[in-house]
Amino acid sequence: MTSPEPTSSDPASSGYGVTFDQIELGDELPVEHPDVSLERVKLWCDAADQHFPRFLDHEAARAEGLPGALVPGIMNQGFLLALLHRWAPSATVRKIDTVFRGQMVIETELTITGAVTDTDEDERTVEVDLTVVGPDGRTGVIGTAILAFE
Amino acid sequence: MNDDRPAATQADLPAIRERWVGVEFDVATFEMEPGRMVAWATACGDTDPRFIDPTHPDFQAYPNFTSHCTTHRVLPDEFPKIGPGFGIDGGKTVDCLGPIRAGDVLTGAATIADIYDKTGRSGTMVFIVQRMTYHNQRGEHVSTVDWKMIRQL
Repeated sequence: MTSPEPTSSDPASSGYGVTFDQIELGDELPVEHPDVSLERVKLWCDAADQHFPRFLDHEAARAEGLPGALVPGIMNQGFLLALLHRWAPSATVRKIDTVFRGQMVIETELTITGAVTDTDEDERTVEVDLTVVGPDGRTGVIGTAILAFE
Repeated sequence: MNDDRPAATQADLPAIRERWVGVEFDVATFEMEPGRMVAWATACGDTDPRFIDPTHPDFQAYPNFTSHCTTHRVLPDEFPKIGPGFGIDGGKTVDCLGPIRAGDVLTGAATIADIYDKTGRSGTMVFIVQRMTYHNQRGEHVSTVDWKMIRQL
């Protein structure tokens, strides 16, 4: 599973590459399925220096009572940031707030979504609600981000 | 390490808040390595050259890169025992206050930002918010990360 490449040649139809003036309250961001292969998770664990078996080894994770090796919470937050960067490449993320509600298992199909919940014309900022949902429909992460546009 | 101290009760929480909220208990420095910065953004599936190309003029750390830059101590040494074990990672809030560049050396200071409780069907949960504030070598405040630790009373 990989994240889709942005099709910036036609941002209006793809949902990617939007500018501040194109954004409306209630707009939904493109739905993505992040790559949660063992290889990707290991790359993140190396970068974060977090080599915990619960992230990298299904058997070790199950021995801890977990359903399988888990996607690190901060990595889930990173998937949401990548979605935001593709959706609005000219914006800067000022804040992201995520609540870890459930365990997301690696090598499964996760779904990430977003929707615009507020816009501020004066500040040129946009607020977006975000989720990471597991293959069984359970929500693993909810969050909110604030993006600032030039 | 076993902690044989008696665990705090709900009645102890006001005094624990009064004693510990706002207390800075650890400081550490972190060098921003470009290889790790690229690997982090790549692992998260980002393709924006600002985050994956060290030759880009605006190359910078991923917005939540500081989340892994933690001090040796999670809580102060004398912090009271609340609930069994480490508890649950309840989430992270990242304030991105300025770009973090390759080679920057950040100083991160850990404080207890808040302690509060919520009671539901499964009992009373205590939320301990550990705040890391990061300043670069020029003294600029570039990032704040709040980490919610959840413990059951």
